[in-house]
Order: sequence, then C-alpha cells, then structure tokens
Amino acid sequence: MPSSPLPDGHAATLVLDQLTLDRRDGDGRSFSILAIPALTLEPGTSLGVSGPSGSGKSSLLHLVAGLITPSAGRVSWGDTVVSALAEGERDRWRRRTIGFVFQDFHLVPELDVAANIALPASFSSWRLDAVDRRRALDLAEQMGLADPRRRAAVLSRGEQQRVAIARALFGKPALLLADEPTASLDAARSEAIGALLVEAATRCGASLICASHDAALLARMDRRLDLTPTPAKHAT
Amino acid sequence: MNPFPMLLADLRALRWTAPAIVLLVAIAIASGIAIGAQERALRQGSARAADDFDLIVGAPGSQTQLVMSTVYLQPDALPLLDGRILQALAQDERVAAFAPLGFGDVSRGYPVIGTTAAFAGRWGRIAPSEGRLFAAEGEAVIGADVNYRPGDTIAPSHGTAGSQGRHGEDSEEEHAHRHEGHGYTVVGRLPKLGSPWDRAILVPIESVWEIHGLGNGHASEAATSDAPFWHAGTTRTGTPPETIGRIGPPFDGKRVPGVPAIVIKPKSVAGAYALRAQYRQGGTMAFFPAEVLVSLYGALGDIRSILVVASAANTVLILLSVVLLLIAVNGLRRRRYATLRALGAPRSYVLLVTWLGAALLIATGCILGLGLGLAATHAVSGLVAARTGLALSPSVGIGELSQAAMLCLVGSVLAALPALASYRAPVLSGLRAD
Repeated sequence: MPSSPLPDGHAATLVLDQLTLDRRDGDGRSFSILAIPALTLEPGTSLGVSGPSGSGKSSLLHLVAGLITPSAGRVSWGDTVVSALAEGERDRWRRRTIGFVFQDFHLVPELDVAANIALPASFSSWRLDAVDRRRALDLAEQMGLADPRRRAAVLSRGEQQRVAIARALFGKPALLLADEPTASLDAARSEAIGALLVEAATRCGASLICASHDAALLARMDRRLDLTPTPAKHAT
Repeated sequence: MNPFPMLLADLRALRWTAPAIVLLVAIAIASGIAIGAQERALRQGSARAADDFDLIVGAPGSQTQLVMSTVYLQPDALPLLDGRILQALAQDERVAAFAPLGFGDVSRGYPVIGTTAAFAGRWGRIAPSEGRLFAAEGEAVIGADVNYRPGDTIAPSHGTAGSQGRHGEDSEEEHAHRHEGHGYTVVGRLPKLGSPWDRAILVPIESVWEIHGLGNGHASEAATSDAPFWHAGTTRTGTPPETIGRIGPPFDGKRVPGVPAIVIKPKSVAGAYALRAQYRQGGTMAFFPAEVLVSLYGALGDIRSILVVASAANTVLILLSVVLLLIAVNGLRRRRYATLRALGAPRSYVLLVTWLGAALLIATGCILGLGLGLAATHAVSGLVAARTGLALSPSVGIGELSQAAMLCLVGSVLAALPALASYRAPVLSGLRAD
C-alpha cells in the first residue's frame, strides 16, 4: 500500500527540496538539466513554468509526476516523499493524485470520446460502474464535447485537447500537470483551452502546474517559475 | 485492471494486419493438421476396402501389384494362375469360400470383373440395393457408382493396360476393342461399399472366360454351345436365358481356364496360415493383403513424419515472424504505452495489454487453423474419392488437437517477447518518441 497517510486524491502541499537532475552526455560528462533549490506549492494554487526549450520544463513535470527520480534532493506530496517510492508505488500514487495533459493530447484514436475519458478507470478496476460512466459523460459535457460517441481520430485538435483535459480530470486529481497544453493549437483555441484548464483546476480544487511558452496562459497562473538559465532562476 | 478497452483499440489499430496474422497462423496450423488427418483417413479407408479379401492367391510376381489390381482395381496386365487350383480349393476343408477374379474387360471405363455371385454379395455381407445378384451367364450386377441402369445392356471391350477411359463415358479406345456381339444385361445394383469396387461391373467368371474363347470351366460345357448367352442382351432383355448352364463353383470342367487371382475366405486362422504356406510354392503365391498394406503404411508413415516435421518447422517460422512483426508494431507504439504509464497505468497493465493482444491473435489463428485443416482434409478426401472411389472419413483426432494446442501454447509464450519489450521500455523516452 502507498505510504501516504492522506486519503487518495486529497489536496496536499507539493514541496521540492534541493532538487537537481543531471544527465550524462555522449562523452560521459555530467551536466545539469534542472536545479531547483526550493519550491512549495500550496493546495489549489497554480504555477506557470516558463523558459526556453531545453531549460527543463518537461523534466520538472516528469519529476513531479514521479516518472523519473531526481539525481539529488526530493519531491514530497504532503507527507509522502514521492521521489523515494518504488516504481510500483509511484505508479499507484500517480494514478490517484495526478492528472496529465500533454502537448500532443496522446488520445487513443480508436476509442470514442467517453472511452478515452474513462480509460484511467481500466487501470485499476475491472468494470466501469454507472457512476464512472456518468462522470465521463458529465466531463465531456463540461468540456463542451457534444457527442461522446465520436471516435478520437475524427476530432479537431481543440476537441482532442478538451478530451485530454477531461481524461486528466476523470480520476479527481489533486494535482494537474500540463505540458505545453496550448502549443499545438491556434491562437483562438489556445485562449479557450487555457481558460478551460484553469477553470477546471479551480473547480475541483486541484493544484495546477503548467509548462508553457504561451504568455497568455502563463498570465492566468497564480505564480510563475522562470527556468531561463542565467542570470537568475527564481520563484516569484 | 481491465485491459480489454485498450486491447480492442490496439487490435483495431492494426486494421487488416490483424486478420492477416490470424490467417497466416491458421494456414500454418491447417497444413499440419491436414497432413496428419489425411494420412490416417487414407490408412483407414484403404484398410476398409481390403476387408473381404482375407487371402489372395495369384501367379508369382509382385504382391503389391496384385493387391492394387484386386482390392483397388488398378488396371494392369497380370499373369494367370492354373485353373486347376479352383478345383483343388473346392475340395479343401480349410476353405470356407473362394472366388476367382477375372479382369481385363472394360465398359464406359468401368472394369468388368468376372467372379462368383457369392463374392459379388461379399460372402453374404451385402445384398443388392436394387434388383438381384447375377444368376446366369450374360447377367451383370453393377457397383453403386456405375451409371448403367438395371435392364441396360453392357457391351464389354478388351481393356488395354495403362489406358483406362474416364468413368461413365464411352471412349474411342474402348470402341476399337469392343467384343463384338457380346453383351451383359444389368440385373441389379450393389450398395455403396466405399471402395473402388463401387465402380465395377461384376459378371459371372464363366462369361469372361467364354468371351475370350476359353470355355466355361464346367463339365456341362457342350450343352451351351448352340445358344450362346450373349444373344440374351439383344433378344430378351431382363430374363435370364434358360439354356445356360449353372454358374459358380465347383468348376469341374476337364479344362478349367486360368484366372489372374483367387480370393479365399478361410474357415480358421490356422487354416489361413496353412493355405498361405501351401500356395506359396509350386508356381503360385499367396498372402494376406494386410501384409502388403502394413508395408505400404510403413512407407506412408515415413513420408508423413517428414511432412509433419516440415510443417511444424514451417509453423514455428511463421510464429516467429508474427512475433517479430508484433515487436516492431509495439516499437511504433512506444509513445502510446508511455502515455498510459504517465496516466497512471502500472507496468503490468501494459504487459497484459500487449501480451493478450499477441496471444489472442495467435490463439484465434490456431482455432481457425483447426477448422481450416478439417475443411482441407475433407476437400482432399473428396478428390481422392473422385479419383479412386476410396471413401475416406477424415476426422480430427487427439493428435491433431494436441498439435494445435501445443503450437497455441508455444505461440502464447512467444507472444510474451513483444510484451516484455514494451514492459521494460522506459516511460520518458517513450513520451518523447515521435
């Protein structure tokens, strides 16, 4: 069982402590990808992460999601030290805590809208019960998706990202992670999706971390973290 | 954990590749099954055809050739036995029944075989399905598949070795060798035996002898000379000519004509072996057809083993290439599975989805292969029956089922390879893959 004393999906404070992530290049030399001395994100707050490509925005999200472990330092969620959990426990913690939205949506094109939204339920339970099915349909409606029976392959990019957000919200996450959620959309759709994402996080009381180049989206966030290498990296 | 929504999505993403994989596996399995089932059906069918031929006596030569000519009616020129043996057999106490077999004539491609009425009725085992057995010279009883009808007149031709016209059709070759002025009247039809004898025309051996100018083998020979039986077919159809002498054993004439083969039904097993020993010397050979069949089956079995090994190797190669294909497909799906992991799917979920997908394709192929193999076996049996008249009843036995189950198992184990490859793939590089 997960070592978290908190109920699943319960809001908690995210703490990054002396976090560094190093990689080795082709010559075997170690170089730093990311270094964050300290960061605390209160429950329900949103954080915009900016910085040029390669500055470690995605790596930060992957570290927080427990998809990778830091070279040094730790990631804590409430009393749970996520970076110290074994892989299976991290999978379980991620399933109960995190909702992930990707730049390229990553839907399953062969499944319809409702099945894509409810897909995370199949990771842990055998049957999709009536409550879950209802929830998937409600989320589709909230996201402005008219027909939940349409296959993901035939949706427009904006619609696909709406489905992806609904899928991220399906597990009632306490922490929403969005990696460039508007980068592959045109300006008008970016605006709508950005608003939708922030509104959705607020409605379910989830913390939100959003890595983006999009100034309009970043402006919607409570706080911002600029990962531009020099002269300074600081949380505001 | 319920991998099926994702599994179905994966299969749907394969489009036509999925049925193609199933079909490939099915064909591989089917060929192995068809070989096994067909060989067994052939063995059973050919053994059944030899049922009433307990002991065969013939002139020295090839036993195999004699079996092919007597049991399976393959036309061939056979040396003749001295007719006096027929007289000796009539007095032999070890003999329950015997029948001479005279080959050589054909009509519409059907062999005309001279024998006794008792053997035509298979020693009492079968009764005619229409009409009656022949009771006099000039009468004929036809096999179930012969396309003459009772009442028809059959004009026999002298067969030429190696050329057998198509069944049921007149041919020019036959016409050129017709025994002019001779005819048989069909008086009955035999039920289906499931052997080449279903395509034979059975007539009294005496008629065959007389057509070839050899007399009739009976003591009362002279009495028949002024009213030859063959006028029967052209004058009084259907009623046996009254002037004809009796037919069948004993053949007590001063000079009994020769015959190519004699079938003997011995009274006892001991008698059978004694008869076989006795007629193996002094210008004759005697043997049980089973002896010949056993050695034939031995050769057949060797060929079968080679074919089975070849088809098994074939199947394993196909399974391996299917597994390679699936590894490649899963490589292309790295990002798809990495996304699932990022959404919270445990590794075991990805393992289950990929393994079940591969195993399902292979298992479906195995089951379809069983059906396809059975269908192929039936089709080949139909061809064999059409060509030889040998009725085969193919069935899928334990051997074939376990073969399919074995390959299914091997396939499922192999299916774990692409699944393990996906299982071990790191999430992050998968997410970054394009």
